[in-house]
Amino acid sequence: MLAILAHNMAPIMFAALVIFLLLGYPVAFSLAANGLIFAVIGIELDLFRPDFLQALPNRVYGVMSNDTLLAIPFFTFMGLILERSGMAEDLLDTIGQLFGTIRGGLAYAVVFVGALLAATTGVVAASVISMGLISLPIMLRYGYDRRLASGVIAASGTLAQIIPPSLVLIVMADQLGRSVGDMYEGAFIPGLALAALYAVYVFLVTIFNPKSAPGLPLESVGYRDESGKRGLLSLLVLTIVSGVFGWLVMRDSGTHGADFVVLTMFFGMVFAFAVALVNWATDRAFGFRFLSKLAQQVTFVMVPPLFLIFLVLGTIFIGLATPTEGGAMGATGALVLALIKRRLTWDLTRQATEATAKLSAFVVFILIGARVFSLTFYGVDGHRWVEGMLTSLPGGQIGFLIFVNAFIFVLAFFLDFFELAFIVIPLLGPAAEHLGIDLIWFGVMLGVNMQTSFMHPPFGFALFYLRSVAPRESYLDRLTGKRMEPVTTGQIYWGAIPFVIIQLIGVALVIMFPIMVTHYKDTGPQIDPSKVKIEIEQPDLPPIDFGQPPNFK
Amino acid sequence: MGILLRLSRAIDAINFRIGKVLSWLVVVAILVSATNATTRKLFNASSNAWLELQWVLFSAVFLLCSPWTLLANEHIRIDIVNSMFPKRLRDGIDVFGHLFFLLPLTIVMMVTSLPFFLDSFNIREQSMNAGGLAQWPAKALIFICFFLLFLQGISELIKRVAVMRGDIPDPYGTPRSAAEMEAEQFTATLKPESHSN
Repeated sequence: MLAILAHNMAPIMFAALVIFLLLGYPVAFSLAANGLIFAVIGIELDLFRPDFLQALPNRVYGVMSNDTLLAIPFFTFMGLILERSGMAEDLLDTIGQLFGTIRGGLAYAVVFVGALLAATTGVVAASVISMGLISLPIMLRYGYDRRLASGVIAASGTLAQIIPPSLVLIVMADQLGRSVGDMYEGAFIPGLALAALYAVYVFLVTIFNPKSAPGLPLESVGYRDESGKRGLLSLLVLTIVSGVFGWLVMRDSGTHGADFVVLTMFFGMVFAFAVALVNWATDRAFGFRFLSKLAQQVTFVMVPPLFLIFLVLGTIFIGLATPTEGGAMGATGALVLALIKRRLTWDLTRQATEATAKLSAFVVFILIGARVFSLTFYGVDGHRWVEGMLTSLPGGQIGFLIFVNAFIFVLAFFLDFFELAFIVIPLLGPAAEHLGIDLIWFGVMLGVNMQTSFMHPPFGFALFYLRSVAPRESYLDRLTGKRMEPVTTGQIYWGAIPFVIIQLIGVALVIMFPIMVTHYKDTGPQIDPSKVKIEIEQPDLPPIDFGQPPNFK
Repeated sequence: MGILLRLSRAIDAINFRIGKVLSWLVVVAILVSATNATTRKLFNASSNAWLELQWVLFSAVFLLCSPWTLLANEHIRIDIVNSMFPKRLRDGIDVFGHLFFLLPLTIVMMVTSLPFFLDSFNIREQSMNAGGLAQWPAKALIFICFFLLFLQGISELIKRVAVMRGDIPDPYGTPRSAAEMEAEQFTATLKPESHSN
């Protein structure tokens, strides 16, 4: 009996873990307790030395001294400050005006702003709530299909999960033992591709069912000039001139690739902002304007997010800053922006600080719990057991990827991404590595997949947040005075389903076109791949980490 | 029960206060890190002590705020199965978890982290990096964390038993109400549908 137990410790331990977690006690402590209980059993069975548990404090210390985890509180704090800084409202309002008159325009605006917010605030709840409060009532007023409206809002909000600087990618890079900067670069294009897919879906809907996403009547659009014109031409000219300016500045700089794009955009943005500022000043002083109202307004609302994106992502991509430094600069930048917009109050700062502290505590404690678990699990060769099972799947790389993605997709119904990332990913990583799969590519693919955990009815958190702000009862529209029907929970659920499917298409695209991710290898400061290999492979060492490089737990 | 509940309230008050005050170290860490990044780029100067200070500050935040997070019931749970159970069973699971998961964990951690700290303190262990900080204060944080977490575990146990006996109302809200609260808080700061349209 005892021999059977001793030989099958890994599967038994894993089964016990599933039960422990499903009990619904906080994950961090269930994980750790599972590790402890089986460590005691292991010591009793003479599998471990009696001083086995002495290694625990050192594991916690390893988590503490891991610099990269600092990016978690920094980006969280930045997002919490930004979500209250009024940036989201300004963007939604202005971009809604810009796209409003075309069919499906408001939906495109939501996707566009969702992507911009994702690249700055990175908080799903904030994006969904602000879009639900600002855009949803307008979409309903002009007769948008409720399922389309709520689906596009929930999905665009979840872009924050995949477009850097997302916490998921930090945790994923950590668990897979890769650099966060590479993970960010790898995830950027798939993130934008997903936003594009959402827009394509909206476009198809407007083709096949034009009534479900009508354009706004011209009279209802704001920022028009006195003549009643919208001034789109002026905006177009400004955009082109700014782009050309950026290009001229950068033409002879000798940079290329991502560096070139980032810096060109930066100079273009500075130029456009300067022009809009001069326009504003001459308008105030002499009543003379050379830009349309719309062009000026769009420039003013686009500059803060674009500048923050440059400050954070741009500096990371061109290798100027580490993700931790980028996070610190971004958080400081967010404070400054909120201060300029006069939104920074004592109360806001306190709320953001306290929320950041609590989020950090629960996230890092899951990691600590996972490390206590892994101490024992690796001690009983659990990692080899899992790896053996996964690498013996039929179909080689592709078979493995399809199985793993299906597995994660199902788990995402029940678990959120922190749990998936800390418990499941470390078990998958070594097998993927063994099959010769690029771990950044693998991580981004799973990231796109795990995004669905926010959209799955009925537990998806994005749906949850949308439900909490969408009208539950019929109401009088404040502008037209018409009685409006409520948005039902069923409509929110049905609306999410096309986007869950789009997400799967996204996963398939990442699998079929690895270049979307693996271009990260061509840019930025390069690490010798052979060196990385050496760091990663330490299968037989005592479990200091999740069997992965020590740099980051 | 009266005395125990008083004890529980005292523990809650301590951990609440510690959490609230120490959460501000997040802002300090951000400022330290931003300053480090800037001086590194602009003046090409960096100091290991300042670099290490970043993670020591953050460690103090997540370690010493975790009892407060437990108090606020914000350590995440997988409640998909749990939420289908009757309330009494869920309370029972919490009592079980406090007794057999949390408290043993904190005791093992206290017992192992005290010598871990003392060994370091006795030799006044310095950083491995030139000009870095002493290591023992950071190591002391581990022991303090699990000591406070142990106290909070006792307090949560007392409260859960009291809830089951009907002595006090349940201090936890449901996750749904938490999401709604956040939405409400957030709504208050938004100006609804600014203008035009």
